[in-house]
Amino acid sequence: MGRIIVANRHGDQVVEWDPAAETAEGRAAIAEAEQIISESRARGCAVSKKVDGKHVIDNGPFDPQAEEYQIIAPIAGG
Amino acid sequence: MGSWHRLLQRAGRLLSQLRFSDGWKESRSADRWGLERPWLINWQWVPKRSAGPGFGPHDYARARARGAEVARGTLGDESWEALRRQGYLDVRSTLLPGLTYRLRVGRRIQLLWDTLDDAMRSPWPYDYLCINPVYPLPAVEFTAQLYLYLRDREDEIIRVAAPQPFDQLLGRVF
Repeated sequence: MGRIIVANRHGDQVVEWDPAAETAEGRAAIAEAEQIISESRARGCAVSKKVDGKHVIDNGPFDPQAEEYQIIAPIAGG
Repeated sequence: MGSWHRLLQRAGRLLSQLRFSDGWKESRSADRWGLERPWLINWQWVPKRSAGPGFGPHDYARARARGAEVARGTLGDESWEALRRQGYLDVRSTLLPGLTYRLRVGRRIQLLWDTLDDAMRSPWPYDYLCINPVYPLPAVEFTAQLYLYLRDREDEIIRVAAPQPFDQLLGRVF
């Protein structure tokens, strides 16, 4: 299973998908996950991806095979 | 009477902002995960160190516990234990020679310079940087996010940082 950790005021909420899904519902879950990543980036968030067990900020396209993404809040001074 | 009137006026304004915020409506729209998308919401009206309306003590406690779990996963066990043990995490700058950023949970970033000469080349006039998330987060979770920014996107930290002459709690975390 792939997942996105959306860090928010609740601590986090998790979005999960099965990269091997062949059903319409499974494909829709992947499409929604991709949409969450692109929407958050468009609003200034950074996205980290777990690579070899370690989170690194990632600018690449959404990879349904990724183990875990995390949405990182935009930052502001002051 | 006057104070009640002002209180009601303020509550009315808050309700209006909630009602007419497209982001809030979008974020509350039912999706398969019941996900709140904080990047769609205007948080300017939320008081400092608050998670916004509808949050009680139990919600804060749960959010902080969840935030700690996420922070642990983000930092990895070694850095997480260092943070717990020391109360801070040091991140060496890759862009500014002689600089180490000291991260403390819920507080401004402290700048530590190796030498006076290094400090003289600082782009900032003070030794604390105030950087907040644009939406409310548990403090420990934001510490882990700042760690990622410092390690992987130090240029962004340098771009947005507001230098301050003294230490203080951050305003957008709880």
